[in-house]
Amino acid sequence: MSHMHENAMTRGESHHTRRVPALALALSAVLVLVATLALLPVSALAMTTNKATARPNEDGGSGVIGAMDTRLTWEGTVGDDEEVSSITLSLPEGATFDHASTRITVLDGLNRTSIDGTATSSGNSVDVQFSEGIPAGSLVRLEITNMQFPADGGDYVVSGSYTTADGQSHALDDSAAISVIANTPLQAAVSWLDAQPWVAAWNSNPFLGMFFKPQLLLTSFASLFPGWLVCLGIVLVCYPFAIVLGLAFAMLKTSRHKVLRAIAICYINLLRGTPLFLQIYIMFFGLPMVGINIDNNVLGVIVMAVNSSAYLAEIFRAGIQSIPQGQYEAAASLGMNGFQTMTSIILPQTVRRVIPTVTSDFITSYKDTSLLSSVGVMELMMFSKNLTTTTGNITPYMAAAIYYLIVTLPLIKVVGIIENNIARSERGGGPRPKRRAVAGASQESEEAKEELATSAEVSHTEEAKPATDVFAALSAPFVSHPTVDLGGVADGE
Amino acid sequence: MANKHRHSHGDVPVVPDALSAEEAASLAFASDKTLTKHHFTEGEHPIVRIEHLNKSFDDTKVLRDVNLDVWPGEVVVVLGPSGSGKSTMLRCINLLETPTAGHILIEDQEITGQSKTDVNKLRREVGMVFQSFNLFPHLTAKQNVMIGQTKVLKRSKDADFKPPQLSGGQQQRVAIARAVAMHPNVLLFDEPTSALDPELVRGVLDVIRDLAENSGMTMIVVTHEMDFAREVADRVVFMEDGVVVEQGVPEKVFDHPENARTAEFLGSIG
Ligand SMILES: Nc1ncnc2c1ncn2[C@@H]1O[C@H](COP(=O)(O)OP(=O)(O)OP(=O)(O)O)[C@@H](O)[C@H]1O
Ligand SMILES: [Mg+2]
Repeated sequence: MSHMHENAMTRGESHHTRRVPALALALSAVLVLVATLALLPVSALAMTTNKATARPNEDGGSGVIGAMDTRLTWEGTVGDDEEVSSITLSLPEGATFDHASTRITVLDGLNRTSIDGTATSSGNSVDVQFSEGIPAGSLVRLEITNMQFPADGGDYVVSGSYTTADGQSHALDDSAAISVIANTPLQAAVSWLDAQPWVAAWNSNPFLGMFFKPQLLLTSFASLFPGWLVCLGIVLVCYPFAIVLGLAFAMLKTSRHKVLRAIAICYINLLRGTPLFLQIYIMFFGLPMVGINIDNNVLGVIVMAVNSSAYLAEIFRAGIQSIPQGQYEAAASLGMNGFQTMTSIILPQTVRRVIPTVTSDFITSYKDTSLLSSVGVMELMMFSKNLTTTTGNITPYMAAAIYYLIVTLPLIKVVGIIENNIARSERGGGPRPKRRAVAGASQESEEAKEELATSAEVSHTEEAKPATDVFAALSAPFVSHPTVDLGGVADGE
Repeated sequence: MANKHRHSHGDVPVVPDALSAEEAASLAFASDKTLTKHHFTEGEHPIVRIEHLNKSFDDTKVLRDVNLDVWPGEVVVVLGPSGSGKSTMLRCINLLETPTAGHILIEDQEITGQSKTDVNKLRREVGMVFQSFNLFPHLTAKQNVMIGQTKVLKRSKDADFKPPQLSGGQQQRVAIARAVAMHPNVLLFDEPTSALDPELVRGVLDVIRDLAENSGMTMIVVTHEMDFAREVADRVVFMEDGVVVEQGVPEKVFDHPENARTAEFLGSIG
């Protein structure tokens, strides 16, 4: 805003740089002399650099971006006993003054003096030859538009030299450093957006400009990225712990021992019965009070893991209990012990059944990391809140929403797909063993190894089978034995 | 535990101690000669001995003083109306149910009151085929057969379909293979074809017949398939109301039942 105003003023000034009555000139000369002496008592002997500032050429952008057209304003004051005939300004390698145009303003005291000049640019320096000498004590302002700073960005000082009427060249003091933003593709894109009429039209709509300002959306994506990583990091690290804890408490809750069950019930109900927000406050404010200081992110992981584990424990318990009793009995009838039954029969089936619910819980946990922003964890919400505060625009929150959605939407889709697959396979979807009408007793041995023997013929009368081959006979659905036919499925009868 | 005690304390029948192996063998030899087609020799011991087996669920007496000896390699078919305790008896033999009183001995080893590990060992000796297959749905057919071997016997040796993709008949055959893969000495079948569509029954019965005739494995089969029983059984045992009412060679039990209830049951079945 302020620079717009300044710009307008500069334009105004240019109209006023004309001759003023000689009397006034003389009067002010005295005043300026006094003023100059008062202001610059020490450095009055040689030309001094007052300041050098830079602004983007276009309105709208906030900072100076490398390799973008920029307006550089340099001001200096001519020394007391000098008359300056030319000034050369230079910037480090990479800056360019080609295509730049220079406007000269000379203030001799309060008066503007119209002094023409020619500016010659050569790469990273520009040389301004004045048509007449600039008198001692004058303030010189050079406004160089369409110049560019180096693309890399960084802090740059304007250096240079000037020549006095006697032809002598003197160095200029370095200006204070000008901060230049590196010209990243993002910056380029933002600058490009800044220049688009449709963007201006879009932003002129109060709703669109407040919630979906394209430039801010772009920059928000970039600045929120670390926060997104923190969210993902917290939930990805916490989840395995939550699963292990949840499984442990599910086991406890289904245990035969009353005390173990009671412990599990307390743990699960306390955690499920209180808000995560409260749990976060208790841990983040409580632990430091008793002298336990844990890194915010680590504590975030711990709180999230503990909270999720309670929900997962219930999911796993329901999953385990949904496995029919017959599965335990079949495992037991094979001589499996409790551990083997659990690990190779019950849990694998439970896992399949709970994957959709666990995924939903994962989605909830991922979203709930946002609550950690209230205790200073630098996650997505925190970043977007800060950005919204500084920009006064809601768009960063929208960017945060998109960051949440790019994780949650695919997962929601995945849950749907898994649910369908499970339903399909429980209905017995998928390929079936091939059926064969007649047993090709001899030639089938090779291929039948791969498929269920489905002969409808009963062949046990055809050939004698040694008793020892019974196992082979029974595995014939999978490894067909040439001498023994299981009698097939006889499905076709 | 406390609960069980309270309920059954007064009802636990007092039964005599198990007979010694020699005593039991000679008694069984004497009594079973006429009851089974199976050939056993003097001096041989029954592989399964059920003596005074009682089982109650809370207040319901399901088995009352069941006595039965099964010889190595013998095929015993158990018949009886629904609720007569056939399943319960089978389930007691591999300790899926704990007997309330009485003795079950396998190879002269009392199985009740064993430690957990011994129970698991015992169950490897006694395979079980369930009415509802109870295949492991997350494993393929091959894996179902192999899992007992690989997990329990720590042996590894691999139809690539999962149970829901198979017909009931195929599933039951896989279940039989799963039980047989453990090389049990005794194989228990609890109505292996009851859950099957009629056209699938024959295939499964053929497998069992095959096993009965060729494996030399001792089998106790609960079934309602009368033709199968007549054909395959060495001995038919008829149970009613938790009691063994009648037993004998199939021809005898089917054609000349001594007990009125047996006759009635067989008559009703057809
Ligand atoms: N776990 C249990 N708890 C309580 N009662 C049971 C239990 N299991 C079986 N019973 C009862 O025991 C009785 C005998 O059941 P069992 O399953 O042994 O009969 P069955 O002869 O196999 O009958 P079916 O031909 O219908 O299979 C039935 O009355 C049944 O209700
Ligand atoms: Mg039954």
